[in-house]
Amino acid sequence: MDIRLQTALLSAKASRKLLRRFGSGATAAPGLVAQYIDKDSLRKLAASYPNIILVSGTNGKTTTSRLISAILEKAGLAHIDNREGSNLTRGLITSLASYARLSGKPKEQTAIFEVDEAALPYVVSQINPKLIVLTNLFRDQLDRYGEVDTIRRLWLKSVENLDSATTLLLNADDPGIASLTKTRAKVVFFGLEDPKLNLEKLPHAADFINCTNCGSVLNYSQVYLSHLGAYRCSKCPLTRPNPQVSAGEIHLNDLKGANFLLLAKKRTITIESPLPGLYNLYNALAASTLGLQLGIAPTTIKTAIGQFKPAFGRTETFVSNSKKIFTSLVKNPTGFNEVIRTVFSGQDKKVVLIAINDLIADGRDVSWLWDVDFEPLAERAQKVFVSGLRAADMQLRLKYAGAASERFDDLEEAAEHLLAFAEKGETVYLFPTYTALIKLKAFFAQKGLTANFWED
Amino acid sequence: MQLTIGWLYPKQMSTYGDRGNILTLQKRCQWRNIGTRLIEIEPESRLESGKIDLYFFGGGQDQAQEVVAKDLKKFKKSALLEDAGKGAVFLSICGGYQLLGKYYQPFAGAEIEGIGILDVHTIAGKKRLIGNVAIESNPLLLRGKLIGFENHSGKTYLGKAVEPLGKIIIGGGNNGEDRTEGAWRKNIFGCYLHGPLLPKNPRFADLLIERALQYRWGDVGLTPLDDKEEIAAHESSFQRAKIQK
Repeated sequence: MDIRLQTALLSAKASRKLLRRFGSGATAAPGLVAQYIDKDSLRKLAASYPNIILVSGTNGKTTTSRLISAILEKAGLAHIDNREGSNLTRGLITSLASYARLSGKPKEQTAIFEVDEAALPYVVSQINPKLIVLTNLFRDQLDRYGEVDTIRRLWLKSVENLDSATTLLLNADDPGIASLTKTRAKVVFFGLEDPKLNLEKLPHAADFINCTNCGSVLNYSQVYLSHLGAYRCSKCPLTRPNPQVSAGEIHLNDLKGANFLLLAKKRTITIESPLPGLYNLYNALAASTLGLQLGIAPTTIKTAIGQFKPAFGRTETFVSNSKKIFTSLVKNPTGFNEVIRTVFSGQDKKVVLIAINDLIADGRDVSWLWDVDFEPLAERAQKVFVSGLRAADMQLRLKYAGAASERFDDLEEAAEHLLAFAEKGETVYLFPTYTALIKLKAFFAQKGLTANFWED
Repeated sequence: MQLTIGWLYPKQMSTYGDRGNILTLQKRCQWRNIGTRLIEIEPESRLESGKIDLYFFGGGQDQAQEVVAKDLKKFKKSALLEDAGKGAVFLSICGGYQLLGKYYQPFAGAEIEGIGILDVHTIAGKKRLIGNVAIESNPLLLRGKLIGFENHSGKTYLGKAVEPLGKIIIGGGNNGEDRTEGAWRKNIFGCYLHGPLLPKNPRFADLLIERALQYRWGDVGLTPLDDKEEIAAHESSFQRAKIQK
């Protein structure tokens, strides 16, 4: 191992230890330190792992990565991941550094990394991934990421540079993803095959509604969510590719989860996923596709998904003060639409707290709230609390969707009211942006329940 | 009495929550028992003049904007010029604002022609202006502040035939140089304020509604509404803008 990298590693490990001692999650700083000392840290550290799996896309990165991790674990494949670090380059380095030994190679052969959309091109240029899973592309925090076309253009370039050692797993239902095929990499498509899920109409927040090839309007015979569905260009031959791996006979069981028939090469198996909503079904399908690609037995995949525990704040339910709190991070219109669709699919009236912050990690622009369809929530919520730095914006958005709400700018005060309002044993619903989620979880944790997120 | 709203390219030019402007126009009429009709104006359809009282034209992604510029010239321009001349109201934001201007000069390639009902032109800038914006409204039009969020790289410069919509208190504005934001001539308005603009700036929303109704129905006055939530969001956004600038 070279001296520069060793120094980088030692410094990263030392800063991680130090930060941990002071109770910080230390997800980025050690990686930044290492990168400062050796700018090739990522490439050099990643070289120890012959099998690197990358997962990127606007929604579902974390859940899909965790599902893959669970499948690998069930299959007995030792691996590392970046749940300790952030999904930016420096976070990947933080994770790699924490696993690296100063002498010799690590014992694991496989690494699975969730990668931020904007960071993906650099990460791909530095390492030679065996598999890349691309889930979807939606408008997301435009002040940070820029327009969704911009991300897609960066990805187009990035996949052009891949060679045949890499396999790309693409979502056939997303026209922005399915068209990333100008590459020497092997391409495998996954998608849904279930006509009864048709939304009939593209939601307002749909992004790729024009052909990526010629710019003409896309015609949809099926719309599953946002612009995901079965599409065909109105002018040129572009059409949704047939997926090699698909999910059919889908049953969404409200918040309890979903069942589907996984179909690949004429083999089928029913998967019972504990994750609710169609958006999570896509995550389970993507993870299953990857498992099959690695030659893992379908029964192993089935067991791993069946026993899966949701990732931090992603449709997880925890208990505080004998109230069940269903939590779902919200960060962009399509994600929020799908959470609303899932939570308000039943007829019962629900108690909700929406907490909107506008710090950098949340996105400073709250305009996106107006691209969310709040009408089902307005019709079926019993009581809505709003909070966060942009509580007043949220309250105004709800007013124009036809819902009254009660506003507490302070997050903890709002959380207290949420708990006090609910009956014992009742489930309440928490929809926070990222930094609001962290603060709220800390608040609920103080009341004695969940672990800090870097330990989850 | 009814207000007919024409939404130009709702699918292509609606990236930054600008649907909120449409919702605001509709609701604020509804709450006053004024009927509304929304006509979504799509690509490849010829626009007829004389039907729309209030046009809304939002912002889109760069690629969509090129497609829209061509369609605008081919299918919409003559009707829009005619309606603009007669006094229909126009609210344009970001990409829509640029396309109501004379032209957009990208870094490379030919100018993208606008329809020229606002005397402004736009030049591609190197630095993207992103952040909260607060402006002091042009006193010839309105008193008080307007609040929004900008996200644009085009730098827009005003000609002699337009007035700025306001003066920058916080943010970049038209071009990040001359401290102006937006442009306005008679009933035609353009600016870079997302947020979206109208929900949090209800007096400006009402000004547009009133002018559009007057255009169609003659002298009308609007009954006041309870704007408690609107004012709270306006004020809290201004406080966030001051902290985050």
